[in-house]
Amino acid sequence: MEQVKPTRMELMKKKAQIRLAEQGRDLLREKMDALIQEFFKILSSVSDSRDELEQVSKSADLALLIAQATDDPVTLKSAGFATRRSITVGITGKNIMGVPVPVIEKKRVSKTMLERGYGIISTSARIDETAERYEAELDILIKLAETETAMRRLGAEIQMNRRRVNALEQILIPELQSQAKYIKNAIEEREREDLFRLKKVKSILEKKKKKVKAKKMAEKVQGKN
Amino acid sequence: MDYGYINARMRGMKSRLLSHRELDDLIQKPDLESLIADLENSPYRDEVIEARGHLLGILCIEYALRENFTRTFRKIQNFAKQEEAEQYIIIFLHRWDVQNIKTILRGKNIHVTSDEILSCLVPAGEMDEATLKELLKQPDLRAVIDLLATWRIRYAQPLTGAYPEYLKTKDLAVLECALDRYYYTDALDSVRAPGYNNGLIRDFLRLEIDVVNLKTVLRMVRDRVDAEDAKRYLIGGGRQFDERKLGELLTLPSIEDVVKALSSTPYRFLADIPEPALRTQKISIIEKELERFLIKKGVGAFLLDPLSVASVIGYFWAKYNEITNIRIISRCKTADVSPDLLKEELVYV
Repeated sequence: MEQVKPTRMELMKKKAQIRLAEQGRDLLREKMDALIQEFFKILSSVSDSRDELEQVSKSADLALLIAQATDDPVTLKSAGFATRRSITVGITGKNIMGVPVPVIEKKRVSKTMLERGYGIISTSARIDETAERYEAELDILIKLAETETAMRRLGAEIQMNRRRVNALEQILIPELQSQAKYIKNAIEEREREDLFRLKKVKSILEKKKKKVKAKKMAEKVQGKN
Repeated sequence: MDYGYINARMRGMKSRLLSHRELDDLIQKPDLESLIADLENSPYRDEVIEARGHLLGILCIEYALRENFTRTFRKIQNFAKQEEAEQYIIIFLHRWDVQNIKTILRGKNIHVTSDEILSCLVPAGEMDEATLKELLKQPDLRAVIDLLATWRIRYAQPLTGAYPEYLKTKDLAVLECALDRYYYTDALDSVRAPGYNNGLIRDFLRLEIDVVNLKTVLRMVRDRVDAEDAKRYLIGGGRQFDERKLGELLTLPSIEDVVKALSSTPYRFLADIPEPALRTQKISIIEKELERFLIKKGVGAFLLDPLSVASVIGYFWAKYNEITNIRIISRCKTADVSPDLLKEELVYV
């Protein structure tokens, strides 16, 4: 045990520290509960989005396969040149129980046929459908990027909080309690020692008194004789 | 050289096309390698062996199919010196030119590297590889159009005409639409002279224009594009539908209504498409039926006068059908698509 001064002052300090640690632990627990609630809320939406993404991705791949098979990959790649654009997304942030999470500004990636840029006459609906499905996949991916990042950050925060609660509960508070107990024991021991010492002194003093008294009595008897 | 000879050659070539049974055998192949091996024992042998030297897997097959398609038509062009038969092949080969110009314009528009654009070009038309490479060297879209005009390549005309509108809207579809319209107008013009053969080619071109216009109408109706805007994307000269009729179709509120409106036309077969496909606006299914109709009509040309350009038209569509089928089979093999699903996609068999 680290060096602690076994004083009443120190005991009071330790007790205050224990109270503070317990208060902190309770607060962290409450925060963790709230975070877990938020986490599960996001988790259900993430798992829905993941399922949706899987479905859309499968159908997009199939549409691409059919378009490549029927329209010739060269035609498809050429149409891809016409629609190739970079996607810009605005990212801001918000706080969930003190955890910063990103908010991605939802600009729809999906376009209408005329917005895609390729000529209508020589392209087919298969190419439209492939583009549509991949655009839908991108929309879901952007949505998922926001929720999954939030979920990951909340998860990390929950884990950190759990470690903090565990540290408080299993290390700090027990250590403070044992220190307090040690101080208490030391003080009690000292009190007992003091009492014993006092009793001892008292008995010595009493013995001395008795001796003096006996001496005086003896002198008195001698004087009478 | 007379049409009797051309007809005999065409029918001979047709007999070498893969039969339904041979296509079924290809479907049953366990993997792409065995499919390639099988194609090496077919009329695609030379092209597959050539492609195998520098390409693998699906790329090898697709390259071989493209090469075989263009070589076959070059071969027909060489022996079909009759004016109209050659003209039909030229009209077909011009499609590659239009496609190549579009690819270059699209690439230049978004500044794709020349190598990447080159990988998407197929020098099968009138413009050879050197011409295409020279076009690729141009710094921008304007320079590409200017070079086409300097070389007096026919496609410079529609592009120069549509360029001011492109500058205003920055919409590349304007240029592409002008090119496509010009292609069909030019093709119709080239067979304007009277005569049975020219009439036959004209008829097939007009049928194709109808199908292309119908596909455009369906896509426009699905996307609820304003009828007046949509009219800009229609091609004139169709067999069944003039601008007025197409305009009426464009004002209809849904795909189902368009299909209903077609019930009094040769396209009444579209009413047989399952209701859910129409309700979910899945145009690719309708498009598939329209393409099948076009191919059937094209292949059916074999039944017309044998001493005419009909056999060339019939062979073109039969070959196109075969190439598309092999491509679908091989693509589906790469994705391990089940034979049943593959057969569903293989609409043209």
